[in-house]
Amino acid sequence: MAKKNYAMTIDLQACIGCAGCAVTCKNENNTVDGINWMHYTKKETGEFPHVRYDFMPTLCNHCDNAPCIKACPVTAMYKDEDGLTLHDADRCIGCKACMTACPYGVISYNKENPHQYWNENNAWSELSATPKEVQDHAGAPIPYHNPERDYNYESIRYRGIVEKCQFCDHRLARDEQPYCVDRCPSEAMYVGDLNDPDDKIHELLKYSHEGLKEELGTKPKVFYLRKFSK
Amino acid sequence: AGAASTKPALNAFSTKTEASQENVEQGEWIASVCQGCTAWCAVQVYRIDGRATKVRGNPNAKANHGHSCVRSHIGLQQVYDPDRVKQPMKRTNPNKGRDEDPEFVPISWEEAMDTIAEKIIELRENNETHKFSVWRGRYTSNNGILYGNLPKIIGSPNNISHSSICAESEKFGRYYTERYWGYADYDHEKALYEIFWGGDPIATNRQVPHTASIWGELSDRATLACVDPRFSTTAAKSDEWMPVIPGEDGAIASAIAHVILTEGLWYKPFVGDFTDGQNRFVEGEDVDEDDFEEIQTHGLVKWWNLELKDKTPEWAAERSGIEADQIYRVARGFANAAPKAISFSSPGSSMTIRGGYTAMTQAALNGLVGSADNEGGVISNGISVPNNGFPDPDDYIDEIAANGLEQERIDWGGRLELPALKDSASGGVKVTNTVADAVLAEDPYNLKVVLSYWTNFNFSNQGTDRWDRALAKIPFMVHMTVNPAEQTHFADIVLPVPHSQFERQSPVAGSNGNLHRHLHLQNRVIESPFDIRVDETEIPWMLGEALEKKGFSNLIDYFRNEFRDPETGDAPTNAAEFDEIATKHFTHPVWDPTFEKDGDQIDGWEEYKRLGTWNTNRYEFRQKWDGNWGTETGQFEFYSETLKAALQDHADKHNVSIDDVMEATFNTVRGDGAFVPHYEPAKRVGDESEYPLIFMEHRSKLNREARSANTSWYQEFKDIDLGDEAWDDVAKLNPKDAAELGIENGDMVRLVTPEGQIEVKAKLWEGTRPGVVAKCYGQGHWAYGHIASLDRRRQIARGGNNNIILAPVHEALSGSGARHGGQTRVRVEKV
Repeated sequence: MAKKNYAMTIDLQACIGCAGCAVTCKNENNTVDGINWMHYTKKETGEFPHVRYDFMPTLCNHCDNAPCIKACPVTAMYKDEDGLTLHDADRCIGCKACMTACPYGVISYNKENPHQYWNENNAWSELSATPKEVQDHAGAPIPYHNPERDYNYESIRYRGIVEKCQFCDHRLARDEQPYCVDRCPSEAMYVGDLNDPDDKIHELLKYSHEGLKEELGTKPKVFYLRKFSK
Repeated sequence: AGAASTKPALNAFSTKTEASQENVEQGEWIASVCQGCTAWCAVQVYRIDGRATKVRGNPNAKANHGHSCVRSHIGLQQVYDPDRVKQPMKRTNPNKGRDEDPEFVPISWEEAMDTIAEKIIELRENNETHKFSVWRGRYTSNNGILYGNLPKIIGSPNNISHSSICAESEKFGRYYTERYWGYADYDHEKALYEIFWGGDPIATNRQVPHTASIWGELSDRATLACVDPRFSTTAAKSDEWMPVIPGEDGAIASAIAHVILTEGLWYKPFVGDFTDGQNRFVEGEDVDEDDFEEIQTHGLVKWWNLELKDKTPEWAAERSGIEADQIYRVARGFANAAPKAISFSSPGSSMTIRGGYTAMTQAALNGLVGSADNEGGVISNGISVPNNGFPDPDDYIDEIAANGLEQERIDWGGRLELPALKDSASGGVKVTNTVADAVLAEDPYNLKVVLSYWTNFNFSNQGTDRWDRALAKIPFMVHMTVNPAEQTHFADIVLPVPHSQFERQSPVAGSNGNLHRHLHLQNRVIESPFDIRVDETEIPWMLGEALEKKGFSNLIDYFRNEFRDPETGDAPTNAAEFDEIATKHFTHPVWDPTFEKDGDQIDGWEEYKRLGTWNTNRYEFRQKWDGNWGTETGQFEFYSETLKAALQDHADKHNVSIDDVMEATFNTVRGDGAFVPHYEPAKRVGDESEYPLIFMEHRSKLNREARSANTSWYQEFKDIDLGDEAWDDVAKLNPKDAAELGIENGDMVRLVTPEGQIEVKAKLWEGTRPGVVAKCYGQGHWAYGHIASLDRRRQIARGGNNNIILAPVHEALSGSGARHGGQTRVRVEKV
């Protein structure tokens, strides 16, 4: 089978700046508070009443020339055969060289084992349950834990390693869009195969578009179409 | 390098490892409904091993067609929130107040029901059943049992909904032009121009998932104008932002109508024309009614003569703070797009002290451009959704109950100063926020037994201090709640109830959208971690059994005798069966293929449970045209004979004139002007010299009706509300005002109004109009859980609840609470 070359488009004109992508990313990838593989930048410019707002969802750019891969001493950051920049948790030594190298700030480090809240035995009030009781009832480390993330990556990472967006490689592998893309209420996002001439990503890229910090030569694979504000 | 990695050798929870290595879906999507706002979207919940793990829009629902907004996902953190009430509790400290520890202890469901029954029997023995009250917060279509019929059988007229603090003023505008009391639907897919009056439909109500899904295309095709004192997402993504002085929207609306008429831009196939084709709408000049021949409408010339002839954009500019040029531009663009031009009302612009008339002007604009009930316009009715309702309780209302039902209502709706004219009836709306005043003044009496569900009235009503005192004064209150809320602090019995999205099976008649109406079904997706019972069905059943033991069996008899499973004919024998039978009974017409209806064909109950929704067919436009508007004249009314009749009834009831009603409701208009859409100047509480700034509040994209603040996903992304900060609650000041006050970004400030004060962080923000302090609603919980509240014992909130400082005032004609339009002035002090 021909190799794929995945890339994402985000249509900022369609985007409503709701953080639905950021929330559903946490949901799919079991990330802990404070670690967000998908986040956003906001820019407000001008003075009242001539104000402008620009919102951009931000995530790993899966760069073709990825600084994190070059920086990683143990090949924990690697390029897969379909063009994804992936992280191998088993190889990671938590040296954070990738975080230093990444110009986009989208790699996070686990200072603690995540989701320890659910092991707590104290109830907030005499009316309430303990987190542990709810965890036990659910029978999962987080009650709404997504075990499907386990494919090709730890479903929950652990203290001492980094983590980042995998473009939902587990979903792409079964011909589904990343979860953020599927759940975006404004249908602003899409992941397609640049190697496939029939993929609709080529239509989308006819809009004016740009990648972030392209001048650094990282060759980012997340393309922002049009503008958030008119 | 950081700490050594600590990968667990064996994960106790990795029972699915083998399956996941195969990378297959491990769960199934179960239909349900999100009630995080009143769009009430059909959703599906992804269930793995009995756990709710994900949410998406239900693809079977034509109003949201597979989409759901960010709020729907946050429900996952709510349903598994350990801070929830986990079992029935009772108060052991008889003293009530903010400073009193309730000293709750666990009790059984049986003890809870026995105690409630005892209190009700006491009322019956003393012939004061009217002092019983049911308070309704968020609800499903099964509310007809607990909220509708249970109080009747007990014998009380006091079933009090939260609806008046929701959106009644907006409904007033459409009702008194085209006689529809409800939420409108909008044909965004065909519109060429939209004016959003305080509307933010890609963030909050209405129909967010549908609007969001077509927004990119809509903004290509249509010109969008957003009237909002603060810079919302919709404002940011519109062609025109009109940052109006709060509460002065009506001036702009009248001026738009003025431009449309003077420039001859009204939609003539709808409105009609001068008999000789000559436009006589000239600024300042009266027009002879005989010169104009109307088609679908009534009273255009009266509206002009009474209101519009002087309302130029230059006049409006002085009041609204919006430049005349912009008003001309929007008016012309809007009218040139006719009839595919939408004037989109929202509570933000009409839930003001005199906002009923503002909503009416906004509605009338849809008449001027012929978009009312027209393609690319506004649908103010729709195809009806069949349901069975609930059996008539009349045979179970005994003499004691009948006597109680005759007593005056607690809520003051229908009094001279509160016409609350829903459906043309004086007192047609149950007014929520006056109940606190009524209890405190014992006018007409104090309530003695209250059953309250999914409410938090001392948080969600303006003037929270009054509610704290009123709740302390009510001898016996049962709070059926998901989280321990502010209201719970005053409860005698606390009952844990389901999170509606995941833990109950109930019908929900969601708001219309995308030209469809529907009847959705919530399903019990998970077994709750908590000892819950369904508030609207199971708890009434258990209460009925407890009352029967004490010699009053009418309630349980009603349930046993009148409810039958539509498939088997079986009567319910316990609470769980009653719950299921009630839902099947109510929804029977939509899933029984033998019922004729204008919509989906569904083959039976099991199929309905699986699909989770029944949709009407797509609405065909112009059903109200040609005499079917339902108004007094049968026309779309610019001069509202319908309102005139309703006001006359109300005035007659009190033996006063309509002018007296206008005075009592703080409206400035006198005479015939009361029957046309017109400008009323904003009325504010507080003296300008003492409170120099105007306080305005707005909604959050993440609020699930102020119930989501105890989730980390809410706090982590709170800064997507423009100008807001993550994990915080800020007062947004224009930098010019801040400089004058010596306030810097991040300073703690005290917001002081005549009603109260809160302390929050100051945010300097160009999206706030100078002279205005803008703040989002939703934070400021001193209860609810460990994230929403910073310290439960000391009752320290994260942020400040706007309702502490907002005055408890009303848009009296509609009976709506008036929380918007800068109804309160504020002083900002550096702490």
